[in-house]
Formats: sequence, C-alpha cells, structure tokens
Amino acid sequence: MLSADCCEDMSVVLHLENVSKRFGGLRAVKSVSFEMNAGEILFIIGPNGAGKTTVFNLISGFLHPDEGSIIFNGRHISRLAPHRAARLGIGRTFQIVKPLRNLTVLQNVMLGAFMHTGKLNQAQEEAGKIMDFLQMSHLKDFPAHGLPLAALKRLEIARALATKPTLILLDEVVSGLTPGEALALAGLVKRLPEWGVSVVGGVEHVMQVVMKIADRIVVLDYGAKIAEGKPADVVSLPVVIEAYLGAKYKELPK
Amino acid sequence: MTGLRGWKLVILIVVVLASSSLAFAVQNDYQMQVLFRIALFAALGLGWNIVGGYAGQLSLGHVAFFGIGAYSLALLTKHSVPLWVSVLLGAIIATAFAAVIGRIMFRLRGPYFTLSTIAAAEVLRLIATNSPFTEGAIGVATPALFTGRYFWKLFYLSAVTLATLTFLINFWVSQSRFGYYLMAIREDEDTASAVGIDTASYKNRSLLISAFVTALGGSLYASAFQFIIPDNVLTIDISLQMAIITMLGGAGTLLGPVVGAILLLSASELFKNRFKESHLLIYGILIVVVVLFLPEGIVGGIKQLWNWIRKKKAPASAGATTA
Repeated sequence: MLSADCCEDMSVVLHLENVSKRFGGLRAVKSVSFEMNAGEILFIIGPNGAGKTTVFNLISGFLHPDEGSIIFNGRHISRLAPHRAARLGIGRTFQIVKPLRNLTVLQNVMLGAFMHTGKLNQAQEEAGKIMDFLQMSHLKDFPAHGLPLAALKRLEIARALATKPTLILLDEVVSGLTPGEALALAGLVKRLPEWGVSVVGGVEHVMQVVMKIADRIVVLDYGAKIAEGKPADVVSLPVVIEAYLGAKYKELPK
Repeated sequence: MTGLRGWKLVILIVVVLASSSLAFAVQNDYQMQVLFRIALFAALGLGWNIVGGYAGQLSLGHVAFFGIGAYSLALLTKHSVPLWVSVLLGAIIATAFAAVIGRIMFRLRGPYFTLSTIAAAEVLRLIATNSPFTEGAIGVATPALFTGRYFWKLFYLSAVTLATLTFLINFWVSQSRFGYYLMAIREDEDTASAVGIDTASYKNRSLLISAFVTALGGSLYASAFQFIIPDNVLTIDISLQMAIITMLGGAGTLLGPVVGAILLLSASELFKNRFKESHLLIYGILIVVVVLFLPEGIVGGIKQLWNWIRKKKAPASAGATTA
C-alpha cells in the first residue's frame, strides 16, 4: 500500500505499518497503517473500544506491537521503553489525566522542561512560557490535585509540550469538558504546530472539535482502520456512519 | 528562591551549632547516650527519607544496610583492616549490595516492593545468625571508634556530623532535578516515564545514596555499643523505626525526619522511665494518632496549617478557575 521509500522523506514524522496488538484473545489493533507529515494535526477517531488508546500506547512505548513497525523520524521505535520514546521527542498526555498530584502546576510543567535542562531557574522559565501559552499561569502555585478537569487537561498538554517534542499525542484531549471548554482548548491545540510539533489527537465523539482543527482524520473501528482523509469527506462516508450509529442510519439523506 | 535557600542554610547552621554545644552542656553519660541515639536516628531517618520520602518507595528493609555497616566494622577490623577504613568499606559494601538488590526489588511496585525489602533484610539476618563467619547468634565484639572520658560526647558529635551530612544531601535532593525526578516517580510512574525519566534507574540511584549513609549509621551504632548480635543490628525493628520516625515527622520533607527522631525517641525514653513496660502502648497510641490526624506528618501538617492561614489572609485569587 505504501511505498518503501516513505521513510527517507524527511517531512514524514511518523509512519505506522501494519501494526497489530493482541491482548489475550482480543485483537485490539488490527494491521493499522498510516503516516503523518511534519506540522500536521491528525485525529484518530472511533467509537469507544476502537483501539485509539492502544495506538497511542504503542507509539509512546507503553506497549509494544505484536506485528508491524512504527517509524518515527526515520527510526524504528517499536521496542523502545516509554522514557526513551519521550527522549526521542514523543510527548504524550493520558486519557485519564495523570497529574503529579501533590506538586504544583508549575512543578508539573517544570518536570517536562527538565528533559533539556538541569537548572531549576531555567526549567522554571521554560515552564512559564508554556503556561502563558496555555493560559494557565494564574494557576501555577496551586497543587495539581485541586484542579478541575479543564485545567488538568491543559496541564497534561503543558507538561508534554515542555519536553519540546516533535510529536505530541493527545489522548481524548477534550472528553469530559463542556462545549465551551472544549472549543477553547481546541483553539490552543490548533496552535500547537507553532511550537514545532505535529499533533496526533484521539477523540471519541466530540466531532465539532475535530472538524475545526484536524487536517486529516483516521477512523478506527474494532481495531481496524476503516477510513482516512479530510474531515469533511470522512464523516459523510457510509462506513463511518455505520460504525458510529449502526447500519440502519447509513442510508439516511444528509 | 535563593532567599529561601539562604534562610534554610542559616537555620541549619544554627541548629548544628546548638546541638553540638549540647555536648558541652550535658555532663551525664546516660543523657549523652540518649542524645547520641536521637542524632543517629535523625541521620537514619534522613537517609531513609530519600527513598521512602522523596521517591515514595516504602522500604522496610533498610536495616540490611545498617547491619552491613555494623558487621563490616566488626569483621573487617578483626582481620586487621584499619578502623576508619572499615567504616568506609562497610558503606561501600552496603552500596554495592543496594545496587544488586535494587535491580531486583524495584521491578516490584507498592506493597510487593515493601515485602521484598523485608525479605532481603530477613535473609541477611538469617545468614548472620547461622554463619560461623559472623559467629552466629553469639555475636561479635566491635571496636570503639573513640575511647576515654569523652566517649559519648565524641559519639554524639559524630552522629550530629552524620546527620548534618545527610541533611545536606536531602537539601540538595530537594533543590535539584534529581529530587524532582524522584518526586515525579512517587506521584505517578507513568507520567514520570512520559516526561523521559528512567524510573528504574532513578529509584536505584536514590537507594544507593540511602544505603551509603545508613551503613555509616550502622557502623557508628555498632561501635558505640561495642557488641553486636544479628537480633540487634539486623532486626526489622530498626527498619520500622527509620520509617516511623520519618513518617511521623513528615516523609518527603527536609525537617520531618529530624523532628520525628527528636519527638519519638525522647517520648519513648520518657515513657520508658515513667511507665516501665507500658511505654510501648503509649508509643503505639502516639503513632496511631499521628497517622490518623496528620497523614503527612507533623511538618506536613504545619505546612498545611501555614498555607491555610496564608490563604485566609489573601482570599483574592483562591479557587482554581479554568479561564
């Protein structure tokens, strides 16, 4: 399907080729392939249990594929430990937010910045810039455990961004937020390429967000890729409607 | 930040000078010995704090390093290794031992890790009890590092020195990337590895530092009491005491282990004299009260109270908003 010389093309940041992952008898990801270019915002969408989080865990080294290969900036990373993947430039957030609860917002973000500096004040400065961008500087001295979900989602992004990644994985970045909060955050996600990162987002059903900010969409259903393309094209495909709503809706007129 | 740093160092110098001068003020050998134990356990608590407090790995097997320090001093000097060289060698052996068992134990998380630390220490105790090399349960004599009429004063001062050294290590940890990495591991290991922290390696490094100072403490203890048996220097009681002192005072805080050692040891000494055998009961109740009402220890509790007062004074920006 994809030509073999794909990986010499410098603009390709990430390339998954026939990646599969099995959990016991469950095939969570079935032979998924896609690639993404530098500066692109790609969203992986799919109903609950489609395998989105598993794909994120595979790319970030928290899981290793049973078959297939994952190539990041021309390097095979299928067997890398999570901290090595992070050091290569893959930042990630977690679907179920995992803040460092007893540390302050500033300290959380500093931990990301420590990847490139051992100096406290330098890390603090870096963290400051990123908190400004994510409009959360006013929260910097609060411990993370007291924050509402919208702030925690931003904190996840801030911490990942502080590691200066070239690829950032945002798992369910807007789930659980009010429509207003979700759109505000989406506006910031759309600006992430300014920081030199490509974005892979994962979303279950907040489609208006995806339509607004995604350059391209990959649709997963039961672990397999069923569609790929521009947002407007993909959402009108019968297979996609069927995956989300069931077979009887796919014939409905627009 | 630098202002705060300066302050902390000034306080440290004052405390060190004040506690050293106690050696000249106190003339009673018994009191001096109690002070020695307080300073020694403050040092041990601070050593434990690096692993158990900052990195959040609840070790209940630290007596292994303590015992290695004690037995190294006894056995190496018996084979005519110089006194202070044996102390240093003991610490190095304990660190090497930590490097080996750390690799194994840190594969486990939570209660499984804790159980494995207990097991490691118990294995050493059983070996020491049954091996002719360590003269088994009969025990071995340990040489005194100091002699003469200033015996306890000198031991007390060396314990204060060790505590100061360990405090400075803790201070460095609290102000460095290394310490931040340990705290990240304590809070959430997945997040820690997502920001590029090699969690296994950092946990190991924290254990190495901790083992080194704990072994120095073990040597000092063995030398002061001049005779050791496995049930004395390899007993889980000492592991528990290191953990309880630190948690009582406040795990993961700089002053916690010091406060814990002063309170717990002086309380147990007072109760021992006044209530004879029932002192253990009071000791136990004290621990239960602290765990129930001050889960973050005394220093943690005071910090919270301080933050609460500050917030009351300036309620303007309180409450997290989402912008």
